[in-house]
Amino acid sequence: MIKFEKFTLKNGLTVIVHHDPSTTLVAFNVLYNVGARDENSEKTGFAHLFEHLMFEGSINIPSYDKPLQLAGGENNAFTTNDITNYYITLPKENIETAFWLESDRMSGLDFSEQKLEIQKNVVIEEFNQRYLNQPYGDTSLLLKPLAYKVHPYRWPTIGKEISHIKNASLDDVKDFFNHHYAPNNAILSIAGNVTTNEIEQLAEKWFGPIGKQKIAKRNIPEEPKQNESRTQTVERNVPFDAIYKAFHMSSKMEKEYYVTDLISDVLSNGKSSRLYQNLVKNKKLFSDINAYITGDIDAGLFIVTGKLMNHVKMEDAEKAINEELNQITTNNIDDYEIEKVKNKFESVYQFGQLSALNKAMDLAYHELLGDAGRINHEVEKYRSVTKKEIITVASSIFREKNSSTLYYLSKK
Amino acid sequence: MKLNRKQQPEFKNIENINIPVPEKINLDNGIKTYIINAGTQEIIKIDIIFNAGSWYQEKPLIATIVNEMLIEGTKSLTSQQIAEKLDYYGAFIHPNPTKDFGNITLYTLKKYLPETIKILDDIIKNPIFPENELKTFLSKRKQQFQIELEKVTNIARREFNEQLFGENHPYGKKTKLKDYDLVNRKDVIQFHKRLYHSENCKIILSGKIDDSDIKLLNQYLGSKDWSIKTEAKSLNFDITYQPKMESFVEKENVTQSAIRLGKIIINKAHPDYHKLNVVNTILGGYFGSRLMKTIREEKGYTYGISSVLVSLKHAGYLVILSEVGANVAKNAITDVITEIKKLREEQVSQKELDLVKNYMLGDLLRSFDGPFEISASFINIIDLGLDTNYYDKAIEAIRTITPNEIILIANKYLQEDTLIKTIAGKYN
Repeated sequence: MIKFEKFTLKNGLTVIVHHDPSTTLVAFNVLYNVGARDENSEKTGFAHLFEHLMFEGSINIPSYDKPLQLAGGENNAFTTNDITNYYITLPKENIETAFWLESDRMSGLDFSEQKLEIQKNVVIEEFNQRYLNQPYGDTSLLLKPLAYKVHPYRWPTIGKEISHIKNASLDDVKDFFNHHYAPNNAILSIAGNVTTNEIEQLAEKWFGPIGKQKIAKRNIPEEPKQNESRTQTVERNVPFDAIYKAFHMSSKMEKEYYVTDLISDVLSNGKSSRLYQNLVKNKKLFSDINAYITGDIDAGLFIVTGKLMNHVKMEDAEKAINEELNQITTNNIDDYEIEKVKNKFESVYQFGQLSALNKAMDLAYHELLGDAGRINHEVEKYRSVTKKEIITVASSIFREKNSSTLYYLSKK
Repeated sequence: MKLNRKQQPEFKNIENINIPVPEKINLDNGIKTYIINAGTQEIIKIDIIFNAGSWYQEKPLIATIVNEMLIEGTKSLTSQQIAEKLDYYGAFIHPNPTKDFGNITLYTLKKYLPETIKILDDIIKNPIFPENELKTFLSKRKQQFQIELEKVTNIARREFNEQLFGENHPYGKKTKLKDYDLVNRKDVIQFHKRLYHSENCKIILSGKIDDSDIKLLNQYLGSKDWSIKTEAKSLNFDITYQPKMESFVEKENVTQSAIRLGKIIINKAHPDYHKLNVVNTILGGYFGSRLMKTIREEKGYTYGISSVLVSLKHAGYLVILSEVGANVAKNAITDVITEIKKLREEQVSQKELDLVKNYMLGDLLRSFDGPFEISASFINIIDLGLDTNYYDKAIEAIRTITPNEIILIANKYLQEDTLIKTIAGKYN
């Protein structure tokens, strides 16, 4: 049970405090309710490019990192389809430095053409390093637009293409800040040996004066139901063929989400899981195989990826994956297996609570979903999933007409 | 009172870093065991460290195979049964083969320790490395190896290590594709028999520990039935290799090249190490480092660059590594060299030094925040046979080092012309 207290400033900033006396550090997490799904389809990669600019100095503070390091702190950030999340850990007695830094960059950034140019280059190198210059690295750039035709999940957070980053202008960047970075669009979550009282005072002092902004209502088109099986074949300079299959699944707010997550665990969580035991160990069709859900807030994807063993034909590999998926829809699953993946979820959940930073991040994220208190009901939600639900949900997801398949062939 | 946003709020320098000293005990069979009792969750981790890295192998791949295949079947359990049980209890066993050691780590909920330690015990004492499992393992690994070889960072690492230590030295030797076809199961069994026994390992037990956990550990891994009463024969290798100071491995169609610069250098056992570590941090050891500032934040050549001091058991080395735009690889290397020269010639400002000191002390706080962080911080110290007061000395060095000492250390260890350079990808 993670206990926490919550309050909201007049400007709309939600603050969550978790008292953890076991650590001398404090975790300071700011979640902005903006991600790649809020981007214009002609200006993709923006939420993430913007995350980089947040470290380039704010109105009153020329360097973000230096004062933090001087106070013994460390920080980083990440951008997903749904959120942009900034986090700090620092010695508890220096917590005010975190308030000072985060509140200043929430109130405004010190933009310049030169800083933008540099960060564009850095992000382009990140694009290269992670996506273009890696074997199989461009997979998500191909699979997402195959599965989504309308919803902004059709591009990855890094962006559709390098030119979108190259073409970003200072006005675009300022516009993005004004629309999304505001106290009423953020959640501050703090975990450490702190009291709610001291956090209230500091939050009021540093964040209180920042004005509320008008945040445009999200108007994201819903992805229409897919009604035909989609495929795409590419050839690349890689040593072995690979297959990627995506199926549409529910949003995070539905009960099906938990059911689907457990289905992916039955198939591929741990060495005893079905895909590994049957397709890697017994049939020796793949050198690597995985099934996972994308974990997005809006309706997401259930993805299966596999790298084929050298001698294996693509059609045999695909058939074997489909058979494994069908096993679940046809009731070939026993209670022991379901118990096993539930146990594993519970264990991983416990390991996750070891770190104050994890707890701070999770609390903020659950608050975004509606209530930080959800964090304490995760285990029971997974525990309550029934075999019948698993079969029903698997049957609704694992249909050919709901699938997008990428055949990634080795150019030999 | 008006809020002054220009001024950093008052902060305290880090005065007290509480470094818990692990409790040292001997199991009944004499295994040295370190106990770190900390944390709030009902969770336990057991690390077992065998002197059984690739340093000790006579044929390629054997040390890795033994370490990673312990979980692939024992006298009483099949590979699948082991996997089923571990997953059912939500436990994890992670093998980790390195150049010097064969490490096995168990993560488990405390309430399931009686069940999970039994599995850990079995896989260490009674693995059988079944022929069919070995075959599957090797063909899978061979493919993964081929994929890894497509990455410029791996190409550069292999070439760099070979240039540092030489192609016949265990730290420098490259695994080759054909090695996967030449593995003999007898060598695997023999290596396990020779090195995975109670005289050749150490244990670190961390998490929420009480006497009953220690008793369980002693009952299983403390038993006297897995001793062979011989020390692992300590092999010695000389580094007599003449490296190419600059080597380039071309790869077509790349958008980035991987660069590595470095040299053989002192490891954690040397008294100068703590100060060299401060110098290295200034250069490339944190996000605000000089290399990050120049090569990422001023030039935009890379997503990241860092400088690392690696402490192996029989040697240490420095490596500066990055993936940079393929057309700027040359410029990036020139800039790295310039930054090192600056460290040798120009005095670091007190302001920068204070920042690095505070950052490093904060980082030490983070390294001891939680039971698994503590055990991770001690594992390398214990591996190298260093005293557990190692971190007190580190703190002392960070607090007292002066700008003059930094120049001295930089000049002693970081002459630019002693650095080996490796580039993989394009270089023009």
